Amino acid sequence: MKLYVSSDMEGVAGVSAWQQVDARTPHPEYAIFRRTYTQEVRAAIEGARDAGAGDVVVNDSHGPMRNLLLDELPSDIRVIFGNRKPYTMVQDADRGFDGAFFVGYHGGAGDADAVLCHTYTPSVVYEARINGVPCSEATINAGLLGYYGVPLLLVTGDRTTVEGVQAQMPWVRGAVVKESIGSFAADSISPPAAQRLIREAAREAISHAKDAKPYLFKAPIALEMGLVTAAQADLVATIPGFERTGGRGVRFVNDDYAVAFKAFVAAWRMGALAL
Amino acid sequence: MRIYISCDMEGTAGVCSWNQCDPENRDEYPVYRRYMTQEVRAAVDGAREGGATEFLVNDSHWSMRNLLWEELPGDVRVVSGAPKPHSMAERIDDGVDAVFLTGYHAKGGDLDGVLAHTFSDETVYRVAINGTECSEALIVAALAGAHRVPVLLVTGDSTIVNETLRALPWVTGVAVKDAIGFNATNSLTPSAAQAAIRAGARDAVANVARAEPFVFAPPVEVLLETARVENCDYIELMPGFERVTGRTVRFRAPDYATAYRAYVAAVRLGGAANVRA
Repeated sequence: MKLYVSSDMEGVAGVSAWQQVDARTPHPEYAIFRRTYTQEVRAAIEGARDAGAGDVVVNDSHGPMRNLLLDELPSDIRVIFGNRKPYTMVQDADRGFDGAFFVGYHGGAGDADAVLCHTYTPSVVYEARINGVPCSEATINAGLLGYYGVPLLLVTGDRTTVEGVQAQMPWVRGAVVKESIGSFAADSISPPAAQRLIREAAREAISHAKDAKPYLFKAPIALEMGLVTAAQADLVATIPGFERTGGRGVRFVNDDYAVAFKAFVAAWRMGALAL
Repeated sequence: MRIYISCDMEGTAGVCSWNQCDPENRDEYPVYRRYMTQEVRAAVDGAREGGATEFLVNDSHWSMRNLLWEELPGDVRVVSGAPKPHSMAERIDDGVDAVFLTGYHAKGGDLDGVLAHTFSDETVYRVAINGTECSEALIVAALAGAHRVPVLLVTGDSTIVNETLRALPWVTGVAVKDAIGFNATNSLTPSAAQAAIRAGARDAVANVARAEPFVFAPPVEVLLETARVENCDYIELMPGFERVTGRTVRFRAPDYATAYRAYVAAVRLGGAANVRA
């Protein structure tokens, strides 16, 4: 059993503010939650191994994507580190994995009661849909894993995030570490309790891996995005293959999900130039 | 006859430093912004003497809102502001009969080109289209050519003027200065430059019959070499771009307009990678 872990930070127990997850400034609270984040990833790995998982690759998928405290993780895993990966949060998903975990995930842009909800770039992406399905990061990322035949087995984060994923992928096990109260407050279990819960859910997820399915979008893949501003859409619409659907709307269609995924990444990176 | 003028700033008489062309600069830029406007006006005045009647001016430098309106004739239209999907050639397909390129500069890497670059000196190291290494002048001329519109006039330093004349021999060139390296020039005075541009524009319009559209034959291949590997990492995300080497991407298109737009998008998205990760 070869396991892929994509780890984000906003869905970690206790997190309720950007300062706690801001690696760039960084705020003193970041140092605290960076450790909590690492411990949740570790708990997920240990739970997976309790149930027989072997090789583990963790993709640090938050912010500059070099947050994990490497000394505090099992020494025999591999870590994908650093920013600007073409497939960002699901880089290297094509390397023969049997299943995937999303740890510390958060709600999609526009979700009510989802701490720090956003979809890749809060200031650029207002909404994203693929083949008409509203997409959070979990949806888009699970789609790429599914394209490579890898099923999502576990998601951890706040209740909105976990239940949102399970509504789209009912086979996914969840660990709800907090209840969001709006965008910047949470009613959370303690980090040790969250780590116990994650370890248990990870063990269950691996034990029931045979019930899981790759999450697949059928070709042609139609990506529709609403940008935050019309100026951003002006720029995104210049990417080859994109058509303008409205003042703040663009559309991209391709038969290949991986091409559409990269086009989505190009779109929010391009849109960010209009900030 | 309706003339399209794409006006840049680095090729204006006397310009030899980014400070003179940087809209944030409070000392030199206001002076050279006026000279830029006056050179455009000289081109308009000369073209009118040669028989042109209508003018569409595309402000094509930096923020693309440099021109001083009150110093232009009251009957011209101006394309102002950025970003524009076709950048320095925005609205070149808007039913114009001929194109002027004023204040243009040498391409990135040219020897003795004042402020020589190709769209972005931080992102573009070299760009070749169908095997021809291109300046901004050639890239814009080819979009005009794709719409069957010829370039009649180019003004700037002698490096870009001579280079453009080699590719488009029917063009009238007005060299307002010689480059002494990247940041120095031996220049005409602004008033002499404006007189030369006015005369050149008049001749250019008078000689319109011998001008031809400059065309890259389809299919069009853009080979873009970037300043840094990171630029290509971003450009490669866009559909249709193929990574050739660490700092090279290729884009193929059935027509030049598509290739042109992709190139403009590549310069923009590639440039986003120039901030530290």
